[in-house]
Amino acid sequence: MRYAFLDEEAKKEIRRSILKAIAIPGYIVGFASRELPVARGWGTGGLQVTLALINEKDNLKVIDQGCDGSVNAVNIRNFIKSVTNVNTTTKTTDASIIQTRHRVPEIELEERQTLVYQVPMPDVLETVEPNISKAKLLHANADYSKLWVLLYEDTSQFGDSRISNRYPVMVNNRYAMDPSPIPKYDTPKLNDCKALQIFGAGREKKIYAIPPYTKVEPLKFEDRDFKVENFDGKSCSRCGSTNSFLDEVYDDEGITHYYCNDTDYCDSNIEVGEK
Amino acid sequence: MAYYAIKGGEEAIKNSLDFYADLTNSADELEDEVLIKSLTFSIDRVMSEGSLYSKKLAARSIKRSAGDLLNASFFLRAHRSSCQRIGISRTIDINKMRLSRRISSAFKDIEGGQLLGPSNDYEIKLLVDLKNEDVNIEEYSSKDCVIKSALSPLRDDDLIKKLPKEEKIWDVTRNYPSAPYPRSAVLQVMSRAETGSLLCVGYTTMRGYGDIHPTIGDLRIGELDIDFTHPFTKKDVKVGSIEATAVECVGTFNQDENGDTKLTTGFGFCFGKNETKAISMSMIDLSLYNTHYSVGGEHIIAADFDMIMHHLDGIESFGMTNHFKLPHYVTFQTDYQIFKSAQKYSNDKKGDAK
Repeated sequence: MRYAFLDEEAKKEIRRSILKAIAIPGYIVGFASRELPVARGWGTGGLQVTLALINEKDNLKVIDQGCDGSVNAVNIRNFIKSVTNVNTTTKTTDASIIQTRHRVPEIELEERQTLVYQVPMPDVLETVEPNISKAKLLHANADYSKLWVLLYEDTSQFGDSRISNRYPVMVNNRYAMDPSPIPKYDTPKLNDCKALQIFGAGREKKIYAIPPYTKVEPLKFEDRDFKVENFDGKSCSRCGSTNSFLDEVYDDEGITHYYCNDTDYCDSNIEVGEK
Repeated sequence: MAYYAIKGGEEAIKNSLDFYADLTNSADELEDEVLIKSLTFSIDRVMSEGSLYSKKLAARSIKRSAGDLLNASFFLRAHRSSCQRIGISRTIDINKMRLSRRISSAFKDIEGGQLLGPSNDYEIKLLVDLKNEDVNIEEYSSKDCVIKSALSPLRDDDLIKKLPKEEKIWDVTRNYPSAPYPRSAVLQVMSRAETGSLLCVGYTTMRGYGDIHPTIGDLRIGELDIDFTHPFTKKDVKVGSIEATAVECVGTFNQDENGDTKLTTGFGFCFGKNETKAISMSMIDLSLYNTHYSVGGEHIIAADFDMIMHHLDGIESFGMTNHFKLPHYVTFQTDYQIFKSAQKYSNDKKGDAK
């Protein structure tokens, strides 16, 4: 099998698109998007970005919904390992490339790291303007009025936007961007992040990026606070953390327990506790 | 439920694959050659949707997916991504096809006549064995049968609307276009499309979403040579031949940009014996590029480029649909919190109103 699966032309094309994406923060760059042995919609965008970037010196971490051990994460990690033979890790701090589905790790990222997102819907305007040609024009004119109207209608009806995850953000004061379906909880972590963030949408054939130290703000009315998920008064039943995104799990008696969604964060807390 | 529920993906995958193997392994016992010969339409469909011409790999894909044809196409597509492209063959002229079947429903008499070839269109579909008796196979020549499209005379008389020729052919597998989409890209997307999806959209044009009742001008199945310019000798060499289906359908007429009254046509082309798919493709091609020739409205699915470019690919829509099987607890947790607070907000508002 060829190194990193894809043929050299494909990797070259993807790298070019990534460079363009970094040069214009938040701008959506098209690319050919090859089919992979993983189904479309299962992370092929992130995979292609990772395969185009990765080399022998890298240490790869793959998470899905915060977990290194979930089926999709295991599958993707095994696949990349089988075609590159790079080292893999579950430790956020040890990783040079982290491919993620829908979470930003709890531990703050660093300059030497790249966070690769798997993106189902790359264009934030899709919900309000499904016609791609028209949406492109709206982006070109920085015309996000349709998003603002949506935000306003929701706020007046429900007190806040109904958008729970993939909350629209404004990147570098220019492009409104879809941050992939991360919880709102993670949205502030995008801002001024030390790591490079690259977003890949395989099925939709799009790549975009947030370079390190870039301003990223959630779209929000001036007189409204940006509210994230609230876990006040709850803590992880395993490591006791009170400052992480928690999963609600019911046990056999129907009692609710909370666990850190970021499994590596949870493990590290326990390790520190044991020392 | 204990904590281990959150982890343990690796073991779960292994077990699941093991169960799957139990369910499907017996397919491995089938010989590739047997599949290629006996399930010829499945093979052709998988090559067409998998967009790779290899009967042998198609057979292997069908076995690997135990007859799930969409899944089989997915195997072919994935394999394709690891192949380096050597070059692009010379443009194929479908008029040079060595025909095994060719019909035209637009004309009573055509040059070369109707050539039914192998077809079960007129078979009575009963699951009992009715013997096909009293067959006198006519003497037929073993010489290659090459006949021009039945629409050639109309084209020669300049009665058919011509679309501008593209200088450079787009390749959707190497560079996906953004709108406005070049016609070569649109045709490639349709040629790789999932047969059922293409049929569905094609069908809408016959049911009021576009007033088209096309006539099949020329439907042909046969062999086509693939010529390639040798990278070193620069000479044309034949690298092989493929079996393909091509359709030209004829629509209604209207005045073109110069005020001339012209007939419209649509073109469909795909690997293997794929008549329904090629016909559907030709109808959609017709309605995309000739909206003002349609008597009905112009805002129809089959005339919407975004709709055609992004919704017909089987591998993509199948992958996305199946991804819902992946865990979604982060997003659900978030959805749930938003729902709770919205519910509280509207309940509070109701309370205030009272």
